[in-house]
Amino acid sequence: MKKLAALLLALVFVLGAAACAPQTEEPATTEAPVSEVPVATEAPVATDAAPADTYEIAMITDIGTIDDKSFNQGTWEGVVAYADANGITRKYYQPTEQSTDAYLAAIQLAVEGGAKVIVTPGFLFETPIFLAQDMYPDVTFILIDGNPHSEDYSEFRTNANAVGIVYAEEQAGYLAGYAAVKDGYTSLGFMGGMAVPAVVRYGYGFVQGADAAAKELNVTVDMKYHYTGGFDATPEVQALASSWYTSGTQVIFGCGGAVGFSVFAAAEENNAKAIGVDVDQSAESETIITSAMKGLGASVQDILAQYYAGTFPAGAALTMDASKAGVALPMAASRFTTFAQADYDALFAKLAAGEITIVKDDIGTDLANVLDLGTTSVTITPVE
Amino acid sequence: MKKESIFLSKGFVNATASVIAILVGIVFGFVILLISNPSEAIAGLGYIFRGGFSGGAKGMGQVLYFSTPIILTGLSVGFAFKTGLFNIGAPGQFLTGAFVAILVGVKWTFLPAPFHWIVAVICGTLAGGVWALVPGFFKAYLNVNEVISCIMFNYIGLYGVNFLVKKNIYDSLKALSQNVATTAVLPKAGLDNIFFNTVGNTKDISTLNGGFYIAIAAAVVIYIVLNKTTFGYELKACGYNRFASRYAGINEKRSIVLSMFISGMLSGMGGALLYLSGASGRRIKVVDVLAAEGFSGIPVALLGLSNPIGIVFAGLFISYITIGGDYMQRLDFVPEIIDIIIAVIIYFSAFSLLFRNVIIKILTGKSDKELAAPVAVVDDSAASEEK
Amino acid sequence: MDYAIEMLNITKIFPGIVANDNITLQLKKGEIHALLGENGAGKSTLMSVLFGLYHPENGTIKKDGKVVNIHNPNDANALGIGMVHQHFKLVHNFTVLQNIILGVETTKNGFLKMDEARKKVVSLSELYGLKVDPDALISDITVGMQQRVEILKMLYRENEILIFDEPTAVLTPQEIEELMKIMKNLTAEGKSILFITHKLNEIKEVADRCTVLRKGKYVGTIDVAQATKEQMSEMMVGRKVSFQVEKGDTLPGEPVLEVKNLTVKLRDHSKNSVSNVSFTVRRGEIVCIAGIDGNGQSQLVYALTGLMPLQQGEIKLNGSDITHKSVRQRNIAGIAHIPEDRHKDGLVLDYPLAENLILKQYFTKRFQNGGFLRFKEMYRYSDYLIKKYDIRSGQGSITIARSMSGGNQQKAIVGREIDLDPELLIAVQPTRGLDVGAIEYIHKQLVAQRDEGKAVLLVSLELDEVMEVSDRILVIYEGEIVADLNPKEITVQELGLYMAGSKRSSAV
Repeated sequence: MKKLAALLLALVFVLGAAACAPQTEEPATTEAPVSEVPVATEAPVATDAAPADTYEIAMITDIGTIDDKSFNQGTWEGVVAYADANGITRKYYQPTEQSTDAYLAAIQLAVEGGAKVIVTPGFLFETPIFLAQDMYPDVTFILIDGNPHSEDYSEFRTNANAVGIVYAEEQAGYLAGYAAVKDGYTSLGFMGGMAVPAVVRYGYGFVQGADAAAKELNVTVDMKYHYTGGFDATPEVQALASSWYTSGTQVIFGCGGAVGFSVFAAAEENNAKAIGVDVDQSAESETIITSAMKGLGASVQDILAQYYAGTFPAGAALTMDASKAGVALPMAASRFTTFAQADYDALFAKLAAGEITIVKDDIGTDLANVLDLGTTSVTITPVE
Repeated sequence: MKKESIFLSKGFVNATASVIAILVGIVFGFVILLISNPSEAIAGLGYIFRGGFSGGAKGMGQVLYFSTPIILTGLSVGFAFKTGLFNIGAPGQFLTGAFVAILVGVKWTFLPAPFHWIVAVICGTLAGGVWALVPGFFKAYLNVNEVISCIMFNYIGLYGVNFLVKKNIYDSLKALSQNVATTAVLPKAGLDNIFFNTVGNTKDISTLNGGFYIAIAAAVVIYIVLNKTTFGYELKACGYNRFASRYAGINEKRSIVLSMFISGMLSGMGGALLYLSGASGRRIKVVDVLAAEGFSGIPVALLGLSNPIGIVFAGLFISYITIGGDYMQRLDFVPEIIDIIIAVIIYFSAFSLLFRNVIIKILTGKSDKELAAPVAVVDDSAASEEK
Repeated sequence: MDYAIEMLNITKIFPGIVANDNITLQLKKGEIHALLGENGAGKSTLMSVLFGLYHPENGTIKKDGKVVNIHNPNDANALGIGMVHQHFKLVHNFTVLQNIILGVETTKNGFLKMDEARKKVVSLSELYGLKVDPDALISDITVGMQQRVEILKMLYRENEILIFDEPTAVLTPQEIEELMKIMKNLTAEGKSILFITHKLNEIKEVADRCTVLRKGKYVGTIDVAQATKEQMSEMMVGRKVSFQVEKGDTLPGEPVLEVKNLTVKLRDHSKNSVSNVSFTVRRGEIVCIAGIDGNGQSQLVYALTGLMPLQQGEIKLNGSDITHKSVRQRNIAGIAHIPEDRHKDGLVLDYPLAENLILKQYFTKRFQNGGFLRFKEMYRYSDYLIKKYDIRSGQGSITIARSMSGGNQQKAIVGREIDLDPELLIAVQPTRGLDVGAIEYIHKQLVAQRDEGKAVLLVSLELDEVMEVSDRILVIYEGEIVADLNPKEITVQELGLYMAGSKRSSAV
């Protein structure tokens, strides 16, 4: 009995302390979050002014932090660029963990924070956005690198308040492969992560780009081709890349999560070259000649502009390709010797105009399928 | 039994010590708030205090959901403390428990609905126990310090689980472990009717499930085992004094091994319960980082002063402010600063033992040693040993 | 009158107990002043007050006639007050010299200057007759030597007032004699000594005056030369104490414990701790294993009680072989054991008294039901033992054992073991560190056990105890039993020779 009394007494202490604690002016935002979402102010305040109460454009980070030199950062840069140019408030939210519920909680937080548009980078948001688009019909969702679907893939649906964006990875790969051969490299390597469609598209594009350039230059190019089976930087990947370099490979396209970091490390060891993926990775290593980039920032800005212009592609599943500035090589940050901006512009124009057809992953995603691409000037060696 | 003032009762002193530790932590957290963002510091503190309430009923559900694993790892560490062992292997046991539970959840689909999740939880619990058993054996029979072997087993467990997840239950598209079968998901046990927000015309249900009840039940069982049974009597005796236990005829080696086994089972259960929350809940990520829930067990146990009931409250509190910190993102705080503030509060909370002595001093005007040992001071041999 | 230290009207209150009630202690310059009292009389509290560890509710302390405030041990040190603790505060893997200078190192540019320190230590040890090897490791020297190091520490710090807290408790008779000499040397050189003890012989031998405390109260200060031992013990205990153990003759019955060719060898030791020991303890006799500490007594007892494995030999209890039985099985078979080290083996210090009193019985039907402890029965039993064996503590059954006085801890162990109603009671130094009242009580209990027809095996280092209590004496020397003696037929001196290994009985 005494124990209980003591416990209660202690509890009174806690509550007393809580009562004494400074109370915020804000009314509790607990009961029904949606109904309390403040109506966006007519004249949004600039972000560098006093902290705003609401943030109109919100981004939810995927695994990792905002400065991950990858998806989060690329997307965020697009959000910041658009918001600051147009005087719109923006903020990013970091979920507590990697799970659908945690992502939904972060979305709830963003909505309570006054978000009208929520940008989510990464395919892990596919299911959370599928649910959130129903829960928050007044909020618009921009899903980068994926399309909303239910947990068990039984239903793919994009509501009018959402848009799904995927990228033409094969075009980005094509650009990189073409540029590398044009720059004088004749022994290439492709090291993909797991053979998921996006990685396969990068790879096939890379092979075909190299083939096209080799034909133009009338040279033969050899290409080692490998899927590591994971997205991690491991000593095994680094050792394999290193052995490729020592056996004559000049440049390796490290494609898939952290696989690239192992490739970059091997390149540094062997004084060789590498190609980055997804975002401009040139700052990662001096060995990176270029990166097969997705135009994350550009497409985010693009869609945001459409949203504010009232031309939001409601419910669309967009594929951002060269024609929509969805793929690119970061020419300013590239370390080419002969491949010039003009060469790039010419190639890019052709891609954008749809003059080049690239075989995609629909021929199969097995390692052996790469031989079905029918390259003539590139000799492909699939590596198990 | 002599009656004394309630203010001097052990329960009151301990509970107050924990509360004061928390308050001091909050003061320090507030200082960091002030430094990082003076204009919103008070509002930020408000979010921390409101904790899960900022997220409505679902938010409170999440508080309970996140408290479930840390209550169990807290129990794990606290139980080991009580029996004189420092089980720093909770992260490894947590992860092995989680892995085995998921494995059973994914593979043993032949089990009928109500048994599937029960078997998965039991297997996960046992796996955690087995993972702690080895350091226990090393400690008992080879006199290898359990801290060292536990740390090593954390990493063996981490990389072993990473390897086995990839080999057996990997969802390569998401780079996560596979979803368990729906029959292996813990039942909501009515909690979904309490902890949800209505958003539009959808019910936004908290991840919370019946696992929370299991955690509370585990705390009660551990409390009873430690305080009411001969088994607990033996284990605690071994913890306090190995030699006297041996002298009393207690098999102290067996006690050490069993202590570690039970402690590991609690951690393993924590892992199983967290990772059987269904498709919208957590899944194992193949990364080189030890489970934070495992290490959180240490401050939870310290704040709860290793008392199973105290640990339940400590787990709830830490979960509460962590979620509160999460809602602080509403303001202009970067997540890293929030992490620091929450960590500071938790860090100071673990100082409750220190504050216990301070309170005793304030209440009695004496030092703890004097109160804890009212007669020791007039005892020649015992007192001189203390000095 | 010249007083080095005066503690006037000191009152110190702890919750529920007045530890020091208006106590006055005046230490003259150059005298040896004994502080006498039972366990729990308040001696240590008084000394803690002097050291600034506790702050008294009332009273003043004067040094050389001037009032001083002592807030912490550093203040005490600054005033030249030093203490040799009962349990030494030495770093075992440091040398003697390193230990002496620890905390007051002389340095030059951050480097130790050992040469000066060594000179000073050597000259001090010569001056006071404290022979030690400054380069020996503490772990390699005897307890007596360690005590000298503690004394040298005080002298090195130029302390004028030296407090000895029960310094003889850990020493052999020879070492005690030497310590007495050293203490006299110290006072001859002008030091003042406070000598805490409850051994009257020692007070008679060295002390000039003696202050007696009883139950926290000041009883009086007397001139030792003019007081008898009986007077002093009466002042201390509050009643007349008999120094004679009263016991009649009994006829030993059938053997209870039979030990044959027992050998114990410790790991990492080249020599046997116990070699080839055989003896018998019969019903109704107290057999005493006498010997100087460290001659294998501890290992012998550990082997008998099952706490240590034996190399060879056979142990029989009431005719049945228990050589390979577990500790628990031996306990159930009827061995009770009052251990040598009550803190290490005898008690779970952080358990309440009640839990400690059922340490050997918690698993019996009486105290558990389906694995659950029967707390009611436990408290009932505990209250019964507390009453029966007069175990005093602050809060009765729920007192944490650690907070009890040494004497009462020992009484709790004795009560617990005797109440097991054993066949064989093994008591190892059961009166160590206890005051005369408690010693008398425990001796009575041992004799009562014998008279009830139990077998009692007593291990003791105290010659008086050996001679008074036992019916038969087995002298152990370097792990072997070297003599089987009848206490009525030998003198203490003879016994001492056997213990020192210089005499060996041919009978064994």
